[in-house]
Amino acid sequence: MISRNEVSISKLLPTSLRAAIIACSFWVLSLPMTVVSGSVAAFCGSLLICYTIDLRLDREFFSKLRTLSIIGLSICLWATGLLLSNFFVNTEIISFSASPLIAFNLSEAIKWLALSSSLTLILRTLAQRTSYGATIEIIFVAAAFVITLAAHRNGMIHRPFLIGDFAIIRGIDPSSILMVLGCAAVISLSALLMVEKNHKRLPYHFSILGILCLSLFVYVNFFGIPTPQSTDTMGLTGEASDNTNSQRDNPFRDGENENSDREAPVAVVVFRDDYEPINGSYYFRESAYSQFNGTMLDYSNIDGMDADLIKKFTIDRTEAEQNPLAEDQHKAIKTTVGMLVPHRNPFGLESPIAYENIANPNNVRFKRTYDAYSLAPQYSFEYLLEREVGNEEWSEEILTEYLRLPDDDRYRSLADELIGNLKPEFTNDPFAKTWAIKAYLDENGIYSLKNEHAYESDPAASFLFGDLTGYCMHFSFAATYLFRSLGIPSRVGIGYSVPAANRAGGSALLVQAIHGHAWPEVYFKDIGWVIIDPAPQQTLVDMTTDPQDSLQQLLGDMLRNDSSFQDFLESQRTSFIQFGTILNIIYALVITLILIGYVVKTYRLLIPNFSLANERYRVSYRAILDRLACIGIRRRFGESREKFASRASKTVPSIIELTDSHLSCALGNISKWKNYETNWQEFERRIQQEITSNTNIWHRVVGLINPFSWLLTK
Amino acid sequence: MNSGNTDKVTELTSTDTNGAKPNTDSLEVATKTLKELNDIVKQQVLGRDDVIELAIIALIADGHILLEDFPGSGKTTLAKAMGEAIETRQSTDEPIVPFRRIQFTPDLLPSDITGVPVFDSNSNAVHFHHGPLFAHVVLADEINRTSPKVQSAMLEAMGEKQVTVDNTTYLLDDLFFVIATQNPLDLIGTYPLPTPQLDRFLFKITMDHIDRASELEVLDSYKERRQLTNQHKTVTRSDVLMARSIIDKNVEISAQIKATLVDISRNLRKDDRVLQGNSTRSMVLLLPALQVSAALRQREYVSTEDIELLIPHVLNHRIELAPGVSDIKKILQENMQEPIEKLAKSTLK
Repeated sequence: MISRNEVSISKLLPTSLRAAIIACSFWVLSLPMTVVSGSVAAFCGSLLICYTIDLRLDREFFSKLRTLSIIGLSICLWATGLLLSNFFVNTEIISFSASPLIAFNLSEAIKWLALSSSLTLILRTLAQRTSYGATIEIIFVAAAFVITLAAHRNGMIHRPFLIGDFAIIRGIDPSSILMVLGCAAVISLSALLMVEKNHKRLPYHFSILGILCLSLFVYVNFFGIPTPQSTDTMGLTGEASDNTNSQRDNPFRDGENENSDREAPVAVVVFRDDYEPINGSYYFRESAYSQFNGTMLDYSNIDGMDADLIKKFTIDRTEAEQNPLAEDQHKAIKTTVGMLVPHRNPFGLESPIAYENIANPNNVRFKRTYDAYSLAPQYSFEYLLEREVGNEEWSEEILTEYLRLPDDDRYRSLADELIGNLKPEFTNDPFAKTWAIKAYLDENGIYSLKNEHAYESDPAASFLFGDLTGYCMHFSFAATYLFRSLGIPSRVGIGYSVPAANRAGGSALLVQAIHGHAWPEVYFKDIGWVIIDPAPQQTLVDMTTDPQDSLQQLLGDMLRNDSSFQDFLESQRTSFIQFGTILNIIYALVITLILIGYVVKTYRLLIPNFSLANERYRVSYRAILDRLACIGIRRRFGESREKFASRASKTVPSIIELTDSHLSCALGNISKWKNYETNWQEFERRIQQEITSNTNIWHRVVGLINPFSWLLTK
Repeated sequence: MNSGNTDKVTELTSTDTNGAKPNTDSLEVATKTLKELNDIVKQQVLGRDDVIELAIIALIADGHILLEDFPGSGKTTLAKAMGEAIETRQSTDEPIVPFRRIQFTPDLLPSDITGVPVFDSNSNAVHFHHGPLFAHVVLADEINRTSPKVQSAMLEAMGEKQVTVDNTTYLLDDLFFVIATQNPLDLIGTYPLPTPQLDRFLFKITMDHIDRASELEVLDSYKERRQLTNQHKTVTRSDVLMARSIIDKNVEISAQIKATLVDISRNLRKDDRVLQGNSTRSMVLLLPALQVSAALRQREYVSTEDIELLIPHVLNHRIELAPGVSDIKKILQENMQEPIEKLAKSTLK
C-alpha cells in the first residue's frame, strides 16, 4: 500500500531528468535564433509542461482529452503566442510606455514560450500515449544536438563559436570538446531511454544506440573524420591526377553546382617571409588553361609550354622548369601550405618556383603539407609600361598556341574598338592595351554566379557579346581571347585569390572554397607571367565572407607546429589545470572504482564459506540478497524483510523460508542458528536453481557484469 | 505438577500454570491453543478473520478491545463465540461464567455491573451478589451510552482486575477480557470516552462491512452455526492462561525491535500533525501483544510483520491529531517507514 504522495516522489526524479533534457534541448535550439529572454522562455516553457503532464494532470483532466484535441490545442497555443508576440512588436503601446527593447524582449519570450510549451505538450502526449512517441522525443533531442553542432561541419573546426572560442583560448583542440559533447548527447539519450516507462523495449533501444555509436567510432577509426569533397566551383580540388593533360570537364559547367558550403576551408598557408601583395589580393596559382583545343582553352600538352607550372605533388622537392625573370622586381617568399582537402595539383603563392614536401604535423587534419618557394611580384603596373610581350626562347609553335582563339571576328573588332581610345603614346604599348580591355570589363561587366552561358558553343563569346554577366571564368576567358586577338600571348591562370585583409595581421592565411578563382595572365618579356585580373564594379552576389580569424590562427598554429606554439600551449595549460591529466585521472578513478566494485562483490559472495559460525546467518543471507540484487530484485525503502520476501518469492520461492531463518537469528536467539547451519549450502543451491529457471539469461549476464549490484542490497 | 506434560495441562490450576517450566515443545502447546481458539471462533464469525486474530491477541496479551462498528455487524457474535470457546469447570460455588453481555444505557448504575451485597434472611448474613463483570469475556455494548460514573467503574475493573463494593474488594478472574463496542456515527446522547480512558483498551478496531461472499455464507448457514454453539469446547481457561505464560517466556523481543518501537513513538511525537503522541505505557502494553502475534505465526521472535500489524490498532486511539488532520493511517505509515528501514538494515549488521 503506497500512498499517492510517495508515487509522485518516486516519479519526481525521472520526470525531472526528462524535463531537464528536453528543456535543455529547447534552450540549445533557441540559442542561435533568439535573444536571452527567448531562450529562457523556451527553457521554462518546456520545463513547466513536462512537470505538469508527468506529475499533475496524469489522471484527471488530462486523461479526458483525446490526443488529437491536445495536438490541436497545442497548435492553437502556438498561434496565440505568435499573434501576441507580433502584437507587442507591431503596436506602439509597450515600446512607447516602456522601451522598444522591452517590447522586443517580451515578444521574443512569448513567442518562444508558446513554441516550446506547445511542442513539448505534443511530444510528451505522444510519448505517453503512443508506442512511437518516445522515439519522436528522442529524435527531437538528438536533432537539437546535431543542429547545434552542425556549424562544425565542412571543416569549420572552430565552430560553433561558443565551443570553439572556449577551446582555442585554452589551447585545446575544439574537436575533443565536440567529442565530449557527443558523449553528452549519447548519455542524455540513454537517460531519456532509461526513464521510459516500457522497460521491455529498453534492451532493444539501447542496442540500437550502441550500434550507432560503435559504427560511428569504427567509421572514424577506419576512414577518418569526413572531409568535404567538392568544395569549389573551379575544379581545383579532388584527387591528385598523374596525367594533368587529360581532357577534363567543361570548366564553365562546374559553376552549376549548388554550393552551400562556400565558406568551407580548403587549405591554410603560413607565410615564412614578410610579404604584402601590391594589388590587394594574394594569388595562389595551381594551374593554367593555355592551349586552345578548338572550343575553349585547356591544359597544355605541348612540351615547353607553361614550363613555369609544377603539375604534380612531390616526394621531396620539385622545381619549375622556368622561373620569372627580373629577379630584382620579385621577392623570394617561403610559405607552408597545409591542404585540408585533397587537390588535383599543388598550388603556391604567385609565382611558385619550387615545392618541398614536409612532415605532416596532423594527419587527421591535413591531407598534404609542403613548403612553397615563390617569387612574388614587387613591381607596380607602371613598371610594365613600354615592355614587350612574349619570350624569345619560345618556339614558334608555343607562341602560336598562346595566341590562338576561337574563330570569331568580334573579339578582334571589340579589342580594336577598345584600344582605339588610348592616348597616342600608348597605342602600341601592350600593357596599355591589356589595361584598356581590363578597364572595359571592370566598368561594364556584372559579376554573377548565375551561369547562363554554360551550354553555348563559346561561353566566353556569349558572355562578352551578350549581357556581360558572369563569373571569373567568363571574365578571364573573355579577357584572354581579347588579349590574344591583339597578338598578346596570354593564358587563364587558375587557383585561389584571397583578399589581403583576410590575413588580419597574422602570418597564417585561410583559403576557403569561395576563394577559388580564374584570372587572365599576360607574358611580358624579361618579367614572366603577369596577372591582369578584371574586377567588375557591379556585382549581383555578395562574395564577402565572415572573417574566420580564430580558425585561421588555429590551423596556422597547427600547421606551424612550432615549439613556440607548444610553449604557448604549455603556458596556457599550466595556468589552468591540465585537461589531459584530468581525463586520465578520471579514467583511472573509474577503473579503480569498477575494480573495487568487483572485489567487494566477490568478497561478499564468498565470505559465507569462511566466516565465523555466529556471523554466518548474516553474511550468508547477504550473499543471497546480493544474488537477487543482481537480477534486479531488491528491498524498497521502508519495506520489511518479510514483505520483500513475499514479493521476491514470485521468482525465488525459497526466499521466504530463508528470510524466516535469518530473522530468527537476527531478532530471536542467536543460538538457534545451529539448526540452520547445515541447511545453508542447500539454501544457496536452491536459490541459484530458482534464479536460473525463473529469469532469462540476458538478465543474469547483465547482473553478473554489474560491478555495483551489491550496493542495491539493503 | 510442573512436568509440563501437555496432557495434564487441563488439570492445572491457574497459579500452578504460572510456574510451569517451559520446554522445547512448549511454544507449540501455546500455538496449538491459539489455533484451536481461532478455529472455534471462526466457525461462528464469518469474514472477520483479521478481527478474530486481533481479539485473540488481546485476550492472550491480557488486554481489552474496543470495536467501532455499526449495529448488527457481528460484534456480539464475536464476543459470545470468544466467551463460549473457553470452557470453565462449572462448580456450583464458582461465580465466574464464560460470557456476559452488558448493554450500556444512560440510567445504568455502577452496582448494576459490579454486583451488590444482599442480605439473606435465611442465613442472616450479607452475601455479595456478583454482577455481570464476573465473567471471562464481557461484551460491553455501546459503552459510550452510559454515564461517566459507570464508565469509570467499568474501566477500573478493566485496569485493576477487581471491583470494590462497600469497601470490600472482589477479585475478577485472571482471564477477564472486555470487548467494548461503540457506534462511530450515532453520537446523540452519548458520553464519548476521553483519551486517558481509551488508553485502557489495548486495541481499537474499526470494522468494515464483510465482503459479499462472507455475507452470503452468513445468510446460508446461520441456523447450523447456531446449533454448533454448544459443541467443540476444546479450549479451557487454564489452556489460555498457560499459553499466556509460555508465550511470555519463549517469544524473544530483540533490542532492535524495542528500539524500533521507541523510534516510531519518538517520530510520532515529533510530527507536526500530531498534537499528542502515544504514551510509553502503550508501548509496554504492546510488547505482549507482539509476542502473541509472533506465536500465532509460529515464530519464536517478534518481527517487523507484528509491528506493522499491531501498531495501527494500538496507536490509532492513543494519539491526538492536530486540528484539521484526519488521515491517521497515513501518518502512522509515514512515521513507521524510517524505523522499519533501520530495523531491516540492522539484521545485516
